[in-house]
Amino acid sequence: MTSLISPATSDRAAKVMLWVSASISILTLMFILGYIVVQGIPVLTLSFLLESPRLSGAEGGILPAIVGTLCLLLVALLSAVPIGIGAAIYLAEYAHEGAVTRIISFGVECLAGIPSIVIGLFGYAFLVIYLGFGFSIISGGLALMFMILPWVVRVSEESLKAVPGGLREASLALGATKWQTVSRVVLPSAVPGITTGVILGIGKAIGETAVIMFTAGSSLLMPTSLFDPVRALPYHLYILASEGISDPMAYGSSVVLLVMVLVINLAAVAIQRHYGRHHVRN
Amino acid sequence: MSEIEIESRNLDLWYGSAQALKNISMAMPEKKVTAIIGPSGCGKSTFIRCINRMNDLVKDCRITGELLFEGTDIYGNSVDAVELRKKIGMVFQKPNPFPMSIYDNVAYGPRVHGLRNKEELDRIVEGSLKASALWNEVGDILDRSAVDLSGGQQQRLCIARTLAVKPKVILFDEPCSALDPISTAKIEDLINTLKHEYTIVIVTHNMQQAARVSDHTAFFLLGELVEFGKTKQIFELPEKKSTEDYITGRFG
Ligand SMILES: Nc1ncnc2c1ncn2[C@@H]1O[C@H](COP(=O)(O)OP(=O)(O)O)[C@@H](O)[C@H]1O
Ligand SMILES: [Mg+2]
Repeated sequence: MTSLISPATSDRAAKVMLWVSASISILTLMFILGYIVVQGIPVLTLSFLLESPRLSGAEGGILPAIVGTLCLLLVALLSAVPIGIGAAIYLAEYAHEGAVTRIISFGVECLAGIPSIVIGLFGYAFLVIYLGFGFSIISGGLALMFMILPWVVRVSEESLKAVPGGLREASLALGATKWQTVSRVVLPSAVPGITTGVILGIGKAIGETAVIMFTAGSSLLMPTSLFDPVRALPYHLYILASEGISDPMAYGSSVVLLVMVLVINLAAVAIQRHYGRHHVRN
Repeated sequence: MSEIEIESRNLDLWYGSAQALKNISMAMPEKKVTAIIGPSGCGKSTFIRCINRMNDLVKDCRITGELLFEGTDIYGNSVDAVELRKKIGMVFQKPNPFPMSIYDNVAYGPRVHGLRNKEELDRIVEGSLKASALWNEVGDILDRSAVDLSGGQQQRLCIARTLAVKPKVILFDEPCSALDPISTAKIEDLINTLKHEYTIVIVTHNMQQAARVSDHTAFFLLGELVEFGKTKQIFELPEKKSTEDYITGRFG
């Protein structure tokens, strides 16, 4: 059987099609970014970053929302990272494969699959009402912790399991205890992978409007304690746009949100570089 | 005639229901090199991993019989595996430096055992690297990553790391099987020097290597110790037919 199209032609066609796909992907990204930046540029001044909003955000700046977002992320990270890594170490290094590890892993999978709006509702019922934390940084941060914990556990566990067994044996053979081996050899070797997982978690958390609107509140005042309510940046821009308060202000807030994500990613790269310098280069 | 440092008496080992070692009895003298040879899968690694209790990590691994180190049973109730491993070091088949600097690799053991003094650590690192014939190559790049060294250098670093803990016994599990001939020759020279101070047990599938470095040789086959004796005698006048077949390359 002979094909109607010669191999050379189909080769060229494939190349063109792949090039078009790649271009569309890049262009979509550029278009979204460009559109947001162009729309947001007019309001992006230093005072926009450093002032509090006036007239529900139609004027003034977004400083309390930036601070609020950072506080929420900080609480989420400071709780999710130690708990998540601890759980991952237990699963990867201490627990014998069996019913218990399967149940824990299954639970973590389930937690990862819960829609954020449901986590938000649960956070409202449990943290805001039952524990009496009210709409606050602590409620919002802990609710976000529920969101990112599965990521941290899963990625950390995988990173730990990817550390070559020979390193564990080498450490134990030198008379190190199990915990010394885990904390001084295995965990540092897994840091680049864990960092990636945590960054994925932050990336998820920073945009989780559904969770924080039920738990963190929507105050535009500067928070002074963990028990103060805050309005996170994505929620702020949602209100600005959906209630027709100010579109330019909404786009300006979007740009700030994007920059925050970018900075977090760059920090992750820097951390990976720092810890990755001893790793085998292939 | 030197003292016996390690002695196994009727040692049996099972992985689950599969018996990997059968009734092994042999005595390894102090400050001598004992080689263990035999075809792949005959239990050589399993046997030396008993000596520093590495098999403790294997689930379903069961051991009976006696294994004595300086007269006390390694598997006795009063023996702490972590303490034991400070006295019985091990160098593995595949070089396994930690992903840290060269210095930190060698200082790892002493630090884990509580040494904080910088000068003392410096002294141990230098001494260990000199004793493993690596100092000339890495003395001025101690803060470089150990994983950038060549395979042969990595293996000598692993030896230095073991020496830094000041063990009495060093177990080598096919230390040269991943190395080129020149690196192999360096490691063999090193073993010949180290035996003046350490009791050495080396697993090798290279018969010439066993002949070159060891004082005694044990031939294992299918989990059993077929023959054990002076290396010269094992190679020149083996008592058993299967030993002779193996060392003349007729099987394995
Ligand atoms: N961790 C383990 N679990 C189960 N069986 C093992 C394990 N390690 C080794 N074995 C088995 O024990 C036997 C001896 O293996 P080993 O001591 O590694 O041989 P050698 O080092 O002489 O090649 C082999 O049949 C091997 O499959
Ligand atoms: Mg082996």
